[in-house]
Amino acid sequence: MKNIFAVALGVLTAIGGFVDIGDLVTNAVVGSRFGLGLAWVVLVGVVGICVYAQMSGRVAAVSGRATFEIIRERLGPRAGLANLAASFLINLLTVTAEIGGVALALQLATSVDPGWWIPVAAFGVWVVIWRARFELLENVTGLLGLTLIVFAVALFMLSPDWGELAGQALQPGPPADEPVATYWFYAVALFGAAMTPYEVFFFSSGAIEEKWTEKDLAKSRLNVLVGFPLGGLLSIAIAGCAAVVLLPAAIDVTSLSQVVLPVAEAGGKIALAFVIVGILAATFGAALETTLSSGYTLAQYFGWSWGKFRKPAKAARFHLSMIVCLLIAVGILATGVDPILVTEYSVVFSAVALPLTYLPILIIANDREYMGDRVNGRGMNFVGQVYLVIILAAALAAIPLLIITGAGA
Amino acid sequence: MNDHHEHDPGHEHDRGDEQDAGRRMPRRDPRAPRGRVLDAHLHLLDRQVLDREGVPVTTVDDLELDGIELGVRIQPGSPPPTLAAILTGPQLLMRLFGGHAPAARRIAIPWKLVSEVGTTVRLGVDADSLDASWVERWVSRHLIGRIPGGRHDPE
Repeated sequence: MKNIFAVALGVLTAIGGFVDIGDLVTNAVVGSRFGLGLAWVVLVGVVGICVYAQMSGRVAAVSGRATFEIIRERLGPRAGLANLAASFLINLLTVTAEIGGVALALQLATSVDPGWWIPVAAFGVWVVIWRARFELLENVTGLLGLTLIVFAVALFMLSPDWGELAGQALQPGPPADEPVATYWFYAVALFGAAMTPYEVFFFSSGAIEEKWTEKDLAKSRLNVLVGFPLGGLLSIAIAGCAAVVLLPAAIDVTSLSQVVLPVAEAGGKIALAFVIVGILAATFGAALETTLSSGYTLAQYFGWSWGKFRKPAKAARFHLSMIVCLLIAVGILATGVDPILVTEYSVVFSAVALPLTYLPILIIANDREYMGDRVNGRGMNFVGQVYLVIILAAALAAIPLLIITGAGA
Repeated sequence: MNDHHEHDPGHEHDRGDEQDAGRRMPRRDPRAPRGRVLDAHLHLLDRQVLDREGVPVTTVDDLELDGIELGVRIQPGSPPPTLAAILTGPQLLMRLFGGHAPAARRIAIPWKLVSEVGTTVRLGVDADSLDASWVERWVSRHLIGRIPGGRHDPE
């Protein structure tokens, strides 16, 4: 059992990246429109986030410095502030969406209007951040989030035509009835979600919360190699379920109930219960991850005291900023905006945040002052640089694609 | 940003040179003996400042140099300037947008309190004894410390 908990940080980090509320819906939308035609993007994203999360975890374990401290130190105050602004907006929009997502999941379970659940969800997130130990928080949400594996089980129970699914996955490209730009918009959205910057902020800060040292490098690697591929697998399974059930029926995915439809069809009420627990845990976990990430990034840029291993009064500005974030999130949701739509626009801010996040990690991972002889090897540097080019391309394409396609409409 | 304000005139580097600076530095190994050359821009500015117990205090937002007059040409043979203090608070805005904060508004940590310079700048005193941490203390005392559970360890 202890071994499962050892990878909780990686699992929770990956859940926030791959199957948070926005991605749950995006994956189902992609599956219902392109089948598994974008599965390759998820694979590319998994490798990329593994490479950079491992680097950020290694830097945190060896030097004791979390990712945003490094960003400020290497980029200086101005470019650091640009990244902070973009990353913070991504965090804030995602916190908003996740709290809305928790409310939607509770609505699925209880049929009570989500408007009533929003303040409850936000208060729940705050209480956990205020009082629960970091290990408790990551273990519970990480483990319960694993029930989303029911999507993979459901895919098998639907006994699909595997040859057709493999055909979709191996011959990528937009289907005849979809514009090319829309296909690439979703490709960038999936890639951006896989490599979303709050994952490395959370992972590296979590490593410091757990007080990792050079001895924990194997643990860091295990977390990365279990967590992110699992996230990718869930992401593809959701798309697969949608491809089998929703694509032939030409159902347009617009809500959470359509995302879980294939699971209910395959496994009935029991599977549905599992998937609701999974979605609840995943959205709640992602809400914790993004709320904490907002606190981590602000505190690390300005050099404030931070961390859940301290009493709140000993990391006062860190806790205050998270309370303010949650209040803003509730305020945004009170306007009645669709929480799922909110995450789509965070792609825009990724354009600034992605390159400015990953470049400093790559530089510091090669700096002997920080890393001693634990600097990157040649292979790691090569892959890291290839991914910087991909990240830059995706970042530059994000905004034009968003405008051309009207956010994938 | 006042570049000449932050630099030892003998070591002019700007941001663009930083990666090269790594190679030109004599030794950057953390186990290297004392007395190494520090580039103010690369090794001090924007690094985390920790107190005696390892609690984060601030980031090095700027540095104050003594023995150098702003806007005055440095005569050859004049004595090198010395580091007087780490500046923080409103000084960050000056770095971001340019200009000078009036001396009375500066929040300074005297350089003599610094005990160690590595990947972080360590101080030999507690954060609570510094002017630089007054905002943290204020928020802690008046807001966060008043919420139930705020003064307890997480469970």
